[in-house]
Amino acid sequence: METAELKLQLKKQIVEFLNLIQVKPEDIKDDEPLFGEGLGLDSIDSIELIVLLGREYGINIQDPKEGRKILVDINTMVAYIEQHRTK
Amino acid sequence: MMYIQHFNCISPQQNVLSNDMDLLNDASEKKMQAKEPVYESIPPGVLRRMGKAIRMGVGTALPICKAPALLNGIIIGTANGGMEDCIKFLNQMVQYEEGLLAPGNFVQSTNNAIAGQLGLLTENKKYNITHVSRGLAFENALMDAMMQLNENPTGSYLLGGVDELSTYNYNIEKLAGTYKEEAVSIKNLYTTDSPGCIAGEGAAMFVVSNDAAGAIVKAEAIGTLHSNDEKEVKGKLKKFLDENLCDDDKIDLFLSGENGDNRSLKYYTACESLLNSNTTVGRFKHLCGEYPTASAFALWLCCELLQTQKIPHHIIKKKSTEKEINNVLLYNNYKGYQHGFMLIKNCR
Repeated sequence: METAELKLQLKKQIVEFLNLIQVKPEDIKDDEPLFGEGLGLDSIDSIELIVLLGREYGINIQDPKEGRKILVDINTMVAYIEQHRTK
Repeated sequence: MMYIQHFNCISPQQNVLSNDMDLLNDASEKKMQAKEPVYESIPPGVLRRMGKAIRMGVGTALPICKAPALLNGIIIGTANGGMEDCIKFLNQMVQYEEGLLAPGNFVQSTNNAIAGQLGLLTENKKYNITHVSRGLAFENALMDAMMQLNENPTGSYLLGGVDELSTYNYNIEKLAGTYKEEAVSIKNLYTTDSPGCIAGEGAAMFVVSNDAAGAIVKAEAIGTLHSNDEKEVKGKLKKFLDENLCDDDKIDLFLSGENGDNRSLKYYTACESLLNSNTTVGRFKHLCGEYPTASAFALWLCCELLQTQKIPHHIIKKKSTEKEINNVLLYNNYKGYQHGFMLIKNCR
């Protein structure tokens, strides 16, 4: 799968998984912060995103410090998925 | 005894006070689903996680919480809480073999999530409790509010009843024979001689206190009973009225929870037989359907009727010649074994 295609797929999954009713997948910028400013996600969302990575890409994140580096924006998430996905 | 200062409701109807029955929303696919408004008072980031019961409960309560920090507590009755989210979470457990589970559905599914969310959103850290006693969940919440006000006479409380109609509980209740097999219009609900009722849902909220100033309605007394014997129900109601109604007082309106189920009609008939010809008899389940906390909708409707002093034609089963409504007796039963009586008075 091309990186651009994976990015769009991930954005669609985030919108659906987190029920972001007022956000369109294409409106999420690749370098927009997921937490705080930007998309405005919170700590419960971070757990939901870790579950998403596990279910959809077979990625198991156990170290919270590792999670903090991965769940920064779409670019960092996709880079990690491309390197570590098992499905 | 306590006074109702403010009240609000989300129900399947938007025009309950209209005399025109064509303006009422009929059942669709054998269900009466709540017409939810745009929830402007709930922050979007919080709203996206809420299940229907929580949305309805919070969305009904926030507009009437004028000074939430001053409330001495939040008291909610809900038999099922966020059932839809609960089932989503349980299905996840099966599907992912108790492995990776998203927490959102679980957080939203517990019965006390409604009162909890209200406490968080209004920053009210005081008494926060949820009653879950099926068809008497709201009655017990109301009784709790009365007892709290007895101990704390200067306080005020947010009181509410909420239940959602989820796919899961609809299917289970349908299999148990709770709902009618045939599709029935609300226009024919009370004349269809068959077992079962129409499924419903809704949320009703009240700000209550001992302060008569500005109040429209006084909740004078509440009584509950577990029984499947109509003679016992009639006896309990007689005792309830003897204890709470003065000799020269009378019931102007008997608001009955009759729901079109021919199996539970005997309880309503028994209670009606205690009333004299000066009492108007009304029914409300064609407006909200049947659900465990439908009596909260009935109390809200009672507040509206006392405020306007007009009873729409579609509510009336038997009309008396009396014009003024001062005393209302609310009687509801759930599945023929949980019975609740409320004596409501006009205080204007």
